[in-house]
Amino acid sequence: MSRYLARINKIDEAELNTLKRRIDIATAVAIFFIAILIVRLWYLQIHRGDDYAQLSESNRIRAQALNAPRGNIIDRQGRIIVTNRPCFNIVWVREDAPNPDAVLKSLARILHEDISVLLERIRTYADHPRYMPFRLQEDIDWKTLVYIENHRLDLPGIHIEVLPSRDYLYGDMASHIIGYLGEINQDELDRLDEDDDSPYEPGDQLGKMGVEKLFEEYLRGEKGRKYLEVDVHGLEQKQLKIQKPLPGDDLQLTIDIDLQQAAEKAMEGKAGAVVAMEVNTGRLLALVSSPPLHLQEFIGGISAKDWQAMLDNPLHPLINKAVQGQYPPGSTYKIVTALAGLAEGVITPETVFYCTGSLSFGNRTYGCWRKTGHGAVDLHRALRESCDVYFYQVGQRLGVDTLARYARSLGLGSITGVELEHEKPGLIPTTTWKLRKYKEPWQEGETLSVAIGQGFDLTTPLQVCRMTAATVNGGVVYQPRLIESIKDPDGNLIKQFPPEEVGKVLGTKKELQLIRDGLVAVVNEPHGTASIARMKDVVVGGKTGTAQVVHLSQFKDAKGDDIPYKYRDHAWFTSFAPAEAPEIAVTVLVEHGGHGGSAAAPIAKDVLERYFALKKERAAGAAGATSATGATSAAASTTAAPVAAAPDAASDAGPDAAPDAGSDAAPDAAPTAAAASKPQP
Amino acid sequence: MFRFDRRLLLNFDWVFLLSVIFISVMGLTNLYSSTHAFHHSGMSLFFKQLYYFLAGFGIVLAIISVDYRVLLNWNYPVYIGSVFLLLFALLFGKSIANTQRWINLGFFSLQPSEPAKLALVITLASYYYRKDTGKGFSLKELMVPMLLTGLPFLLILKQPDLGTALMLLFVFVSMTLFVKLKWQTLAILATSCLSAVPVGWKFFLKPYQRQRIETFLNPEGDPLNTGYHIMQSKIAVGSGMKFGKGFMHGTQGQLDFLPERHTDFAFSVWAEEWGFVGSLVLLGAYFFMILWGLNIAISSRDKFGVLLAFGIVSLIFWQAFINLAMVTGLLPVVGMPLPLFSYGGSSLMTTMTGIGILMNIRMRRYMTSS
Repeated sequence: MSRYLARINKIDEAELNTLKRRIDIATAVAIFFIAILIVRLWYLQIHRGDDYAQLSESNRIRAQALNAPRGNIIDRQGRIIVTNRPCFNIVWVREDAPNPDAVLKSLARILHEDISVLLERIRTYADHPRYMPFRLQEDIDWKTLVYIENHRLDLPGIHIEVLPSRDYLYGDMASHIIGYLGEINQDELDRLDEDDDSPYEPGDQLGKMGVEKLFEEYLRGEKGRKYLEVDVHGLEQKQLKIQKPLPGDDLQLTIDIDLQQAAEKAMEGKAGAVVAMEVNTGRLLALVSSPPLHLQEFIGGISAKDWQAMLDNPLHPLINKAVQGQYPPGSTYKIVTALAGLAEGVITPETVFYCTGSLSFGNRTYGCWRKTGHGAVDLHRALRESCDVYFYQVGQRLGVDTLARYARSLGLGSITGVELEHEKPGLIPTTTWKLRKYKEPWQEGETLSVAIGQGFDLTTPLQVCRMTAATVNGGVVYQPRLIESIKDPDGNLIKQFPPEEVGKVLGTKKELQLIRDGLVAVVNEPHGTASIARMKDVVVGGKTGTAQVVHLSQFKDAKGDDIPYKYRDHAWFTSFAPAEAPEIAVTVLVEHGGHGGSAAAPIAKDVLERYFALKKERAAGAAGATSATGATSAAASTTAAPVAAAPDAASDAGPDAAPDAGSDAAPDAAPTAAAASKPQP
Repeated sequence: MFRFDRRLLLNFDWVFLLSVIFISVMGLTNLYSSTHAFHHSGMSLFFKQLYYFLAGFGIVLAIISVDYRVLLNWNYPVYIGSVFLLLFALLFGKSIANTQRWINLGFFSLQPSEPAKLALVITLASYYYRKDTGKGFSLKELMVPMLLTGLPFLLILKQPDLGTALMLLFVFVSMTLFVKLKWQTLAILATSCLSAVPVGWKFFLKPYQRQRIETFLNPEGDPLNTGYHIMQSKIAVGSGMKFGKGFMHGTQGQLDFLPERHTDFAFSVWAEEWGFVGSLVLLGAYFFMILWGLNIAISSRDKFGVLLAFGIVSLIFWQAFINLAMVTGLLPVVGMPLPLFSYGGSSLMTTMTGIGILMNIRMRRYMTSS
């Protein structure tokens, strides 16, 4: 062998034994450590295996909430007003963008925005962590979305977020009724968490106003869950199980889209409210507060700027003036005074007072709106020409507390309980009320002001509308209804809201008839204050009102435009038709509109004209549908509607075919007809 | 020396080779499961590792054809070469995750700390063989091996790679205890080592290394960072239960919850998918290999062979034990591959070289210098 190896010596016997002992020790050491490992594996895999198996399960399975499509809001005809659509937002994740300036520059070009606008938005989030996404642009249009999706690779840091959003098919129509959605806030979360199975999680949307809020529990549906197998980054690997969300229930309003639109159009550019109510059921056919809310601005959360603009708007768009606006009823209140006078026997239809243009009472003079005076005035003429002196006389004989009793029986002075939030009760003063509130006794002179709807009197347009309805329907005070029914997504009825009598007017049918005659004269006789509202085919009755906002002598002789807007009088007109068998009551209030006859009555007339035109159209449509299907009765045509060859015509005819047959049959026939004739999904 | 002896073929250790192949096949199977979801461009890690194995068996063949005793003369060139590579990696190496551990050879990234372990074993075996008088080593005589260990130890600690550096100490201690020590020497070494722990903690450990050890002592205190590895690995191992979740069905590994699942934490994937039974099989294979290795050591006719074989076996054993103890949560996380099982070319080549030397010693057990 080579010389390199020559030096290596064999081990002698003694040394071999020593080494063998040491190898044995090493073997023992190895066995010891391997035994430790075996015990450890036994502990982890057998003894605690179940625990770790469970941990590994929860490690890999994520449950993802699937938002339920919110229920639709539909009109009384079954037409969809509000439904759902996906809303696409552009989201910015700073961390993902190695070269943010270039990305933002091309994004600015895509969005047709100046880059400074985007940079400004980013600046507000400057102190957020770099990995945190925030919204750069909300609700982008389809074209922009497609473009960004196609250029995804050129836009690192830009992500698209999809959120369910409301789709307002009729724009801002009925915005105060519908209300809006918003992200759930901490207060709401805390409050809702108190009930055990609150379905809400941070980031959820819920109704914040209007029926979206009040009927949230029906509309929201039930969330689904998607069980995903995810990796450590939370990225979806495999879908394990899916529990489908249950869509929310549909909410059918009593509102008629056509009428609502007509009323809103008539109110365009004005501040105020329109309420249209079925006289014999209390259902609201239209409820307008002007100016409307811009529902679109609320999608994805309203910006502080838009919100401030709404708060600052002198026309107060955030207030639903139909139920939250409290105005002196003005001369519309003369209905109350007249009824109380007749019922209490203070006057008869033949009682005559002499109007010289004013009335002295105590040490004050109370003027009539007509300074030259009306001369000898009876009830009919007093209503027709709205003679203040006549009602001063009546009111003075009744006293404020008696007046209040009648006002309350007509539904004034307390909330109506309609399905809207923050409704205001108005105010019907009494002697005890004044003593309690001002610690002063009632002055007799104040009764005179109250008798013509000024002074302390306050009413909401909805209250005045219901008062009108109760006056002309024979004295029944109905619960105002905004909701017709709630149906599940398959169209099954869940809840119905039948008409409900909540009170009886003090006074006999005959007395009410006398007042109704007077109100018809307001529109249809010479010298009536609202002849402007006269219609060709239908006899309309009504009462004008002008509610003083201030008693400033400096504006006493000023007229119209000379007075600053906020000091101008509110204009009222409350009406009903047809005079012989009233179906609909329409009340209009125009804030700072001036005289009721000139400012409010034409709007009521527009609404009434639309109502009767629609009725005619739908009757014709129903007749057409009836002959097309060969059915012999209206009832048959409505049940056949979903399968009929002309479902639109048939469904339109549904609810209104019934009132035609006789107004008393309407309450029962209408809802079933509407339910049966809803072919929409 | 280069003349081929027919007796060599007769003494070829098929059993040891088969135990190596057995572990390697389990390693490759496991690697396939843990990496099949990777989307790498180019060669898959599985095939890369397969080629490393084939190259490794080539190395074994090359090594057994040369008598291991030449190492006794080449030990210093080998040692100096390995130290040079460590220096080179520190100065010019490729930096991965803030560590200077790699030398890029174009087709292969060499981790010089791996061959350094083997180089130290060869050097210590040679030194102890030459200096052993049978009377036991004094502290003074240990100065040289301590320095020989200390230099690569510090260079590797500087990379920093605590696991490999500690492995050098384990090998040094094992081999030094295996040769005879004077009792006083042992006592002095033991006390100085114990007193060195707090000093080392303060001056030698990098903050991340200190944190790893702190995390190990209290893993729940930091479940998202370093503790995360330990937790996820324990979940993987534990959830394997008796028979495992099945090949390629381990959720912890497949779904990326397990970090380093093809390298240091490869055993977690194995334990998850094959359960307690599969883990015992693998553990048994290692145990068998270690015992057989010790048997090779004692069957050698010369003390150099005994020391060299013992050093290599202790190197493989401590690596395997520390890795398994680490992934089952018994020891803190340090960078330590499981020999023959974890993915990694440098580690595999080093192990195969060691195995080649072991088989070399085995084959020549009846040979004597003429």
